[in-house]
Amino acid sequence: MSTKYRVLIVDDEPDVLLTLRVILEAAGFEPSLAADGETALRRIDEQPLDVVLLDIMMPVLDGWFVLAELQGRALRPQVIVCSAKTGDADRERALNLGAAAYVTKPYSPDDLIAKIHTVLAQGEAHVTV
Amino acid sequence: MDQLPGEINQRIKREARVAGISRRKAPSIEVIEQRRMQLWILTVLVVVALAAASALASWAGPESSLGAGQWILRSAVALLGIGFVAYAVEKELHLHRLLRLLTDERVLNAAYSQSLDMNRALSAAGKALNSALELDEVLDAILASASQLLSARSGSVMLLEDDDYLRVVAVRGGHLFRDARVRVGESVAGRVAETRAALLVNGDAVDLGLRDASGDGREDGKEDGSAMSVPLVNRGQLLGVLNVRAAGSVQFDDYDLQTLSLFAEPVAAAIAKAGLYAAEKAHVVELVESDRMKSQFVASVSHELRTPITSIRGAVAATRLVDDSAQRNELLDVIERQSVRLQGMVEEILASARMERESNDAPVMLRKVDLASLVRLAALDAHLAGRPVTVDAPAVCEVRADSEGLRRVVGNLIENAHKYGSIPVTVTLECDAEHVMLSVVDSGPGVPVAERARIFERFYRTDPNGVQPGLGLGLSIVRGVVESSGGSVYVEDAPGGGAAFRVVLHTPVDDRREEAHVN
Repeated sequence: MSTKYRVLIVDDEPDVLLTLRVILEAAGFEPSLAADGETALRRIDEQPLDVVLLDIMMPVLDGWFVLAELQGRALRPQVIVCSAKTGDADRERALNLGAAAYVTKPYSPDDLIAKIHTVLAQGEAHVTV
Repeated sequence: MDQLPGEINQRIKREARVAGISRRKAPSIEVIEQRRMQLWILTVLVVVALAAASALASWAGPESSLGAGQWILRSAVALLGIGFVAYAVEKELHLHRLLRLLTDERVLNAAYSQSLDMNRALSAAGKALNSALELDEVLDAILASASQLLSARSGSVMLLEDDDYLRVVAVRGGHLFRDARVRVGESVAGRVAETRAALLVNGDAVDLGLRDASGDGREDGKEDGSAMSVPLVNRGQLLGVLNVRAAGSVQFDDYDLQTLSLFAEPVAAAIAKAGLYAAEKAHVVELVESDRMKSQFVASVSHELRTPITSIRGAVAATRLVDDSAQRNELLDVIERQSVRLQGMVEEILASARMERESNDAPVMLRKVDLASLVRLAALDAHLAGRPVTVDAPAVCEVRADSEGLRRVVGNLIENAHKYGSIPVTVTLECDAEHVMLSVVDSGPGVPVAERARIFERFYRTDPNGVQPGLGLGLSIVRGVVESSGGSVYVEDAPGGGAAFRVVLHTPVDDRREEAHVN
């Protein structure tokens, strides 16, 4: 039996956390939640994670800070930025800060699941090579 | 000579020919004087010679023994004398006429030359004025040109302010202070502004108050001097006054006053143009800022609409996946909550658009509204949405307003207090016979003084890149509704800290209010 992939959902909207948790559970992932950047970084330190779904605009520490903080680390989870910011500049900035993918809100839940699988596959390919 | 009218030129040539002046020599006053002198000397010599000849003939023999031949000789000598004198008189007449023509020509030449100089100077001044757009540059060019044009020692430009005062806006030389003010009608500059007639003051400038007007009456102990003030009028509108003062003992004359008056026309046009340019520039800055806020608004709308849609789509997908009814209900709540949020935003955008249309077209209908019950209902809604509010209001408190708009005003202010301030939030109503004051007070950090006016602007956000959701419309809607109801809204510091938003509205004319107080 394969272990479940661990996904951290980071968003300041409780309804987004709630719905994504249900969807990811149903899709066979093991989700955990963080409502701000500070909690997200603590969760990442506490437990090994495979993927982080990261919102950008959050109070206190925002998504940009989390990305920058993770950038310097050797061991870090794959980050998929999920933001309502649609500008090319934001997408470019996120990818330059080490994000594996950039998904704009509103997204289709199925597409998001597919994107998580793609990013995981890319990450494993990266490790085996 | 070529600038002289052809007619005078022709006459000079004709008279010169008749007067017997050489064609190779240009006729000059000196040549004519020389010619006249020659003519009269010759005449005198001829007359003397003829008289002598006649006397000699008489002396030759006794009167009685005059023969017919002698009589004929004496008659011929007399006739010759008369003929020569007639010739000399005729030449003298022509020479005199020529002399007058040449004098006229000199006067005309001098006038033309002076006029040409003035035109050249005015044209150069006009060019200098046209090359500047900013008011300060234009004013510098005006004073530099005026000084050059009239060899003035100092000058100043005063512009009309509030129709009653002239303010000094530019100074060159002299001891005048910028921003000094002169009342229209007082002193020389003030009188020039009032009468719109140019004024030349020689000698007694100080007595006439020019020193007060242009501030440069006394220098090195001298109080006398020569100064001019001309009105600056563009398209019939008085813009101000231009003053110049002569250097040292130089005295201006009517010709200088005429020159300065002519110069005042392009000066007034240039000042008017600079004013238009400044207004246009300010308008562009305003447009750029408005454009920036609109772009930011579009980005905010995009972001704010996407967030609830994300939750709704997620919740719909999740509802299909769960079997547990409690969990399903929780997800349905998400859908409901986010739909309401979406609806609120759409209504806000529509209200803002409608308000803009109404302010352009027809005014809103004002009705009698019980603000007290409206506040209590808004407080109830806020409680249900998780935003607790304390209400302090009389049982009834009627105002004249747009009722639908007023509901939004109260809702927006309460929402704002929770979003940007912190609890406790209190809504207070204070009513008197004519006015009602609605206060929404929070316990947050308050609004910085610099932002107190701007927060009511459409699309303005205190924290454009911040995390607080919002479109930048809420307070602009509040102001729009309140003002269309004839009221006013402002923000100040609450007595105990935090922000206090105050809305002042009018009571209906036939207002009867119960004084019962509920909390």
